[in-house]
Amino acid sequence: MILTKNLRIRAAAVIGAAALLTSACGGADDDSGGSGGGQTGGGGGSDAAQIVVDTTFDIKTVDPGREYEPTGQILVKALYDTLLTFADDDTTTVIPDLASYESNDDQTEFTFTVAEGRVFSDGTAVTAADAVFSLQRLQGLKGNPSFLLDGVTVTEVDEMTLKLTTAEPSPALPAILATPSCGILNSKVVLENGGATDESDQAEQFLNETSAGSGPYTLDKLDAASEAILVKNPKYNGPQTPAYDTVILRNTEPATQKMNVERGDSQVALGLSGDMIDSLAEGVEVESVPSATVVFLLINSDAATSAVTAKPEFVKAVKAAIDYDSLLEIAGRGAAQATGLVPSVFLGALPASEALKYDADAAKAAAEAAGAAGQKLTLSFPNDIDPTGLNLTTLAERVQAQLAAVGIDVDLAPAPFATEVDAYRDGKEQIGLWYWNPDYMDPANYLAFGPGQTVGLRAGWPAGANTAIEELVAKGYTTGDLAERKTVFEEWGKAMNADGPFVPLVQPGSNVVYQPTVTGVYYNPVWLINVAGLSPA
Amino acid sequence: MSLASPQPDAKGRRGGGGRHAALARYIAKRLVIAIGLLFGMTLVTFCLTNLVPGDPVAAALGQRAADDPETVARFRAEYGLDQSLPAQYVAYLGRLIHFDLGTSWQTHRPVSADLAKAVPATMEIAFGAIVCAAVIGITFGAWSAYRRGRLTDQSLRLVSLVGISLPTFWTAIVCFYVFYYRLGWAPGSGRLTPGVAAPPRVTGMYTVDALLAGEWRTFVDASAHLALPTLVLTLYTVGLLTRFSRTSILEVLDQDYVRAAKAKGLPGRTVFFRYVLRGAAVPILTVVGLAFGSLLSGTVLVESIFGWPGLGSYAYQASSKLDLLAVMGVGLVVGLVYLCVNLVVDLAYGFIDPRVRVGR
Repeated sequence: MILTKNLRIRAAAVIGAAALLTSACGGADDDSGGSGGGQTGGGGGSDAAQIVVDTTFDIKTVDPGREYEPTGQILVKALYDTLLTFADDDTTTVIPDLASYESNDDQTEFTFTVAEGRVFSDGTAVTAADAVFSLQRLQGLKGNPSFLLDGVTVTEVDEMTLKLTTAEPSPALPAILATPSCGILNSKVVLENGGATDESDQAEQFLNETSAGSGPYTLDKLDAASEAILVKNPKYNGPQTPAYDTVILRNTEPATQKMNVERGDSQVALGLSGDMIDSLAEGVEVESVPSATVVFLLINSDAATSAVTAKPEFVKAVKAAIDYDSLLEIAGRGAAQATGLVPSVFLGALPASEALKYDADAAKAAAEAAGAAGQKLTLSFPNDIDPTGLNLTTLAERVQAQLAAVGIDVDLAPAPFATEVDAYRDGKEQIGLWYWNPDYMDPANYLAFGPGQTVGLRAGWPAGANTAIEELVAKGYTTGDLAERKTVFEEWGKAMNADGPFVPLVQPGSNVVYQPTVTGVYYNPVWLINVAGLSPA
Repeated sequence: MSLASPQPDAKGRRGGGGRHAALARYIAKRLVIAIGLLFGMTLVTFCLTNLVPGDPVAAALGQRAADDPETVARFRAEYGLDQSLPAQYVAYLGRLIHFDLGTSWQTHRPVSADLAKAVPATMEIAFGAIVCAAVIGITFGAWSAYRRGRLTDQSLRLVSLVGISLPTFWTAIVCFYVFYYRLGWAPGSGRLTPGVAAPPRVTGMYTVDALLAGEWRTFVDASAHLALPTLVLTLYTVGLLTRFSRTSILEVLDQDYVRAAKAKGLPGRTVFFRYVLRGAAVPILTVVGLAFGSLLSGTVLVESIFGWPGLGSYAYQASSKLDLLAVMGVGLVVGLVYLCVNLVVDLAYGFIDPRVRVGR
């Protein structure tokens, strides 16, 4: 009896284990065979039914008036058309999307004519009233992206025309309007769901559940922790030709992304660092270009923070002490030396010949003149952020060693971003290692590094500290003519390299890994990738 | 817990009704203590989160927005950060009474809604892991103790040592690499294969919800995705439980009453299962409870590697962005879990060990 009972128990255990194993393995097989939604995924590749894009999420919202994180930009770009945009393969020329525009000579009045026949996902026509509502809402919400339209007055002229006016010339405004945050919403739908053009707006939750735009995709599901699912907008009649019925954006760690894309379970991976690219298996493609992120050293010019770093000779010493080529070894595939503060993808970027150069002898002499010998300085940086896959701790260690070689002794002071950012913003760091991502696709972004400007003040560099550079900053903000604008930014870049308290180090590589079954992969400095531009090879 | 035996009634009986009343009083007492503990926990969490250097406004807002005083003022007002710390804490408690944990400034959603999504995801792997680990770990521990000093014992001790020593994130990466990437036996990251819709939400645990909805295909898919993370967490916990079970059982094996049972001629298996295992069950149960609490709160890296949107991932994101209300919400949930687990374990003592009874 006992034996029989034991046998029964053992048999049940074996059957149970076998069932569990079958379930697990069956699930894997099942994946490769595909399942609902026309999926081909699992072990299979992509077809026009579905594409899976892996990235590391930082989504807070997909409400265009509130979002301002990289993942949010990818999604909002696909959900909401903007008045103007950029072609996938050109980051310098603004082109019409929902509207065409013309401006007056001094770039203070911009008149937009909404294209006839464009419709939202519910089939209603896009009008100037929708554009005015959307842009005024962006301003009135006082959210993260509201600064984009600071000082801009938005008025409706007639049903299909609106006018934007600024007190000062604003040649960057067209590029700003191409930012996903300036996406145009269906005002009727948003108003019906708690929308407003001021802080009383309650439409965010609605917009996180369903989209109200005219973009090539609509929002099917958003789970900020795991995935976002977009489905093709059947009413879309814009210039793009979205190929995939469904786009799935998944929140995945970089190491997992690598395995997923290599096995073909995802078709695109956006978060691989330069060193991971080097160990990729064969059979995947890589779009590898210098990103628009500029990693730089900040050297505080305020003597109250450090009497040593405030000396111009010290800044010169640091600029000459860095072996820029050696930093690229750390940055990995796609990285390039930042020739100036304006990255290479923008108008006005400096050529390589104008970049800062390593000169150990000059650095030693300047360090001695600055009285750096025997002084212990601090290099602060955030150690929990890897801008575009670049490990700042490794970079800081390399910089520390190179500074030590010319007689500048620095202690590393890593701290979590949330902790360190206060000291950075308050201008309390002696030397800081930071990065700057563009807010919109125009070099005017980088004028924030000028004296008395946002980042300039963080380096203890107030207005009046360098009038020549300040004049160039003013020209950069107001010069509209493209050729003249290019010259102004190049002059500004050279002056900043010569006299500014910043040391542009590196533009980390932007590496988009994808299956050869996919085409149309282009890196964009603001929205990273246009999923509507992807199509089967 | 009181270890006193229930007092006999006038007729000398230790009545079942009296025992139930005592049990009810005991549970009520524990609940009152739990409320006090939770209150203390909110205070400690609030103080700690506010002691962290760094301004949450700077962490939450973009670089440009944080430089705009109007935007910063609006943010502070919206989240009550413009009030004094005591006022913020009182306001938090006021909301907590209505089960309102506030709004996360990372996700812009109620913290309770975020937790309602994250907790079941973690529960799903934690439940699976603790059940597997308890069955395997206690079996191994018992076997090891029963075969003390022999090759079986040495081998199982080595296995448990390896299980405890391997960092779970490393095991997770290796398992993912081998079973998913190389062999293709397991599906990729996430809770479901892309394109497979989540089942209608009842518990938030996909396997359970899929069964309730009769969606077998989804159940199989969810189970397949559950297998690897559960395996990884099981491997670690098995090591722990094997070692602890072995030690506990060995202690009981040396007790006089066990020797007496053997001397009376009872079969070895009867002695082992009826006397030894039962005697060792109380400390083992305690460790199982603690291990379960640990699994719920400490799976950050495993969740990251498997793309599992659970409590660990949420806690990490919240703390790295100084999302104070979310951090406090997580602290509260973890505290609640430990309190519940301890309560269940304490109550289970009484059923396992007749020496442990609730006093009046």
